Amino acid sequence: MSLRLLSVDPSDRGSQRCRLGPRLMSALGLSLGSPLLVSVPGGSCLCTAWPRPDLAEGFVQLDLKCSSPGLISHPPTHLTLDPTQLTPVPCPKLKSVKVAVVVQSVEFKKHTAARQVHELVKDMLKGVYLHEKHVIDLENFDTEIRYIVVESISADAGSSGIITSKTGVEISGIQTVRHYRSQLQDQDSVPLGGLEGVSASLREMLQLPLLYPDTLSSLGVSCPRGVLLVGPPGVGKTQLVRRVVGEVGASLVVVRGPEVVGSRPGESEEKLRAVFERARSAAEEGPCVLFLDELDSLCPRRTGSSAPEDRLVAQLLTLMDGISQSDRFLIVGATNRPDSLDPALRRPGRFDREVIIGAPTLQQRKAILSVLLARMPVCQSVDIAELAQRTTGYVGADLSALCREAAMHAIREKSKGSGEQLVGVKHFQEALKSVRPSCLRSSLGRTELSLVTWEQIGGLDDVKLKLRQSIEWPMRYPEAFVRLGLSRPRGVLLYGPPGCAKTTLVKAAANSSHCAFLSVSGADLYSPFVGDSEKALAQLFSQARACAPCLLFLDEIDSLIGARSNSHGTNSVQTRLLSVLLNEMDGVGLKTLERRGTERILQAEGVEEAHTQEQVDFQEVCNNDVMVVAATNRPDCLDSALLRPGRLDHIIYVPPPDQQARLCILKACTESMPLGADVCLEELAEKTKLYSGADLENLCKEAALLALQEENMEASSIKHTYFLRSLGKMSPSLTAQQIHTYQTSPR
Amino acid sequence: MSKPALLSLHQALRKSFQGLESNQKVWSDVLAECSPLMVSLGNLAEQWRALSNVQLSNTPLRDFPDLEERLRFKLVQATDTVLCKLNGKMSSLQSVRDSISNQVSAVFQLYEENTDSLDLLTVTERSVTAPSLSDMLEWLQDAERHYREQYPFCSCSHWVGFSFYSGSVFPQVMFRFLRRKTLLQTLRADDLSLLESAPKRWKSFESPSAEDRITDTLCKVSFFIKS
Repeated sequence: MSLRLLSVDPSDRGSQRCRLGPRLMSALGLSLGSPLLVSVPGGSCLCTAWPRPDLAEGFVQLDLKCSSPGLISHPPTHLTLDPTQLTPVPCPKLKSVKVAVVVQSVEFKKHTAARQVHELVKDMLKGVYLHEKHVIDLENFDTEIRYIVVESISADAGSSGIITSKTGVEISGIQTVRHYRSQLQDQDSVPLGGLEGVSASLREMLQLPLLYPDTLSSLGVSCPRGVLLVGPPGVGKTQLVRRVVGEVGASLVVVRGPEVVGSRPGESEEKLRAVFERARSAAEEGPCVLFLDELDSLCPRRTGSSAPEDRLVAQLLTLMDGISQSDRFLIVGATNRPDSLDPALRRPGRFDREVIIGAPTLQQRKAILSVLLARMPVCQSVDIAELAQRTTGYVGADLSALCREAAMHAIREKSKGSGEQLVGVKHFQEALKSVRPSCLRSSLGRTELSLVTWEQIGGLDDVKLKLRQSIEWPMRYPEAFVRLGLSRPRGVLLYGPPGCAKTTLVKAAANSSHCAFLSVSGADLYSPFVGDSEKALAQLFSQARACAPCLLFLDEIDSLIGARSNSHGTNSVQTRLLSVLLNEMDGVGLKTLERRGTERILQAEGVEEAHTQEQVDFQEVCNNDVMVVAATNRPDCLDSALLRPGRLDHIIYVPPPDQQARLCILKACTESMPLGADVCLEELAEKTKLYSGADLENLCKEAALLALQEENMEASSIKHTYFLRSLGKMSPSLTAQQIHTYQTSPR
Repeated sequence: MSKPALLSLHQALRKSFQGLESNQKVWSDVLAECSPLMVSLGNLAEQWRALSNVQLSNTPLRDFPDLEERLRFKLVQATDTVLCKLNGKMSSLQSVRDSISNQVSAVFQLYEENTDSLDLLTVTERSVTAPSLSDMLEWLQDAERHYREQYPFCSCSHWVGFSFYSGSVFPQVMFRFLRRKTLLQTLRADDLSLLESAPKRWKSFESPSAEDRITDTLCKVSFFIKS
């Protein structure tokens, strides 16, 4: 027999009754008003048993006067209970009880004498059945006292009992409802992955002044009061603050920029002052954090002309200066555009510390994923480390979207009736297609790649090998690279005659290494405004660094950049772009804002860890940079500074295909074509000297078209004659002289 | 089924319902006597407000010596008297509450003593003239809860609202709090507004529906009482 949980009758509210059917009552051995502990998901509740007025069986109604704290915020609804969840408990008369009182307002707490509170509490608690660690809800008394939290009861009574007029009541503390609620809420927050370092420093700032106030004052140090969190959107700044606040048990006052701004002059400032006042009063009860989310909208850079925002900025500055040492609250600001903040904010005394949270590194992504996947039924075959590798450039929000999407795929599949409950690798692969990294959103060179594998490119085996060495190997065998002290090359230049598969090679490389891939052309970069192109290029690099490891492909680099030496004049756009590129590839250092994760240095002697873990570490050290891949067919036009080792250090000549390679190309091109039995690709390969890969592809196309033309759309195979005829019409695009110049031209 | 236990319990219930009926009358009478007092308290608060708003030196009354202090003293005295009377009413309300509580707990004790002889079938059995035992016990408990919920309201408002006059009249609880206020001799504006709003708040404490429920209960058991 199961019991349906109905909501409580209005007349029973505050009576601590649990309405049951009389038959169930006698089965449980209960008489009228006997105490009874009901366990429901999320907690339990102590009630007295009463028969329902209509004596019906199969229903249960609970008055939650005395229940676990969790049930206050989330009262149980729509449940079906089992009779085993109801247990009669003995409730002896209590000798003493220790409680904490939760009151409505701060004023009551301040102005009411302890004795008076004591008397009220005792009066209200008389005749109530208590359970240890439960909360008594006194809403229906409608006084200032809202809840009474039972901390402990006299030891001889077990865990529950009844309060009589002789019970001694001890009040351990008084707090306000808001504080109590915020404490309750924080108990069920989600853990965060990969932000341990930052959260530890935040926690320290919150806890130090509370735990060791004397030490700090004896040192004559004022503890820091402001932290600015900087990072791209979605890395978890807001989450982090909520999490830390929850862990420390502090109360949180949130200010969202637009909420504060009012229409009338002076209104915004007034609201801001009210917020600080609220934080101050909350700080009197315990640690408190004032969180200014989206600080850039609240506090933009002040300009020369007096805008209304300037007054708001000034008010914020004065309020932050006006915090006295006795106000124990911490101000945390979060922004993703620190450069648009007013510089006056970013000095010690206001925001003492700036914490930069970058896009998560491989390690951090792994941590985030393991937190996210811990709550999902995931197939054994899903490898978190590999998933973390595949998700370069994903921030925390992207990763959680990814997991959600994968789960949705699993659900959709399940609804089709396959009965599979687990989220498997294929779901994640589907999700990876639809969820793209937000770091790269609105980026210039974001490109969707068609799938090209190395096998689809005929010939060019040494070129492929070299490309693999420089792109794939550092990803695959990081430990070997570290062992030999090798570092990943900064850049690769592919040069060779046109139509020899340079671009296709890069595509294949990008596909085989699961890096982020950005590709730019002149159209993306050039702009009619002076300085705009350079800025775009610099921004491209910073975005690429944010999602490193990343491949940045500059096609036709000769037209894009050019050289300084030629006759264009010293100050053309090309030269300026070149200088930007040189700087970005091998500059002095990174901007502080682009810092990601903690500096990680591999130590030779360390604790023996699992092999995969080590590999991930190696990965991280090895692949933390952007790799530039450039392609040109005019290497002589490039600036020599660009070609020195350290910038484009691998210079690879992509030769026109030799006979063997041509055969491979022809095979690859005709793979999907129905060839006639007489077709001899070897012969074709022999006859097509000086033909480039593109020419050969064209040849195959022409032959197929010719077949259609001759045989009136009913052609089922392409005969050898068509190949020969189309070959007769074409001429090779390369010349022997051209190839000679490539082969002799050094850098 | 044991007859004697049931009979004695019925007897006790009958007695306590009669007690409840008489106590309800006393309670409502006392409350009715309180309301004119509350109105006069509101009036006094208005006078306080008026006195603090006026600058006596700017009026023709400036020739009277110490007029403001005298008026203030008179007002304090008047407020004291009203509060004193209210306090008396309060204690009679409290005695009503206590007597109801005592009766109810006595009935429950009697029931608990006889739990073994009364099974749930007997307890929930209803007849034409008499409601079941469980119903009646429940109603009694409801009534007791109602009076207990009502009482702290009164006492609460009594403490918060009128706490700033001379300590002599008031229960010792407020003593320290009051002393400071009398020393200050001025009333904080928010306190005054508390005093002004006291009659209104007093009214809001009365809940006719709950009071009606008790009357309903008494109607339901009227046959049982008379039988």
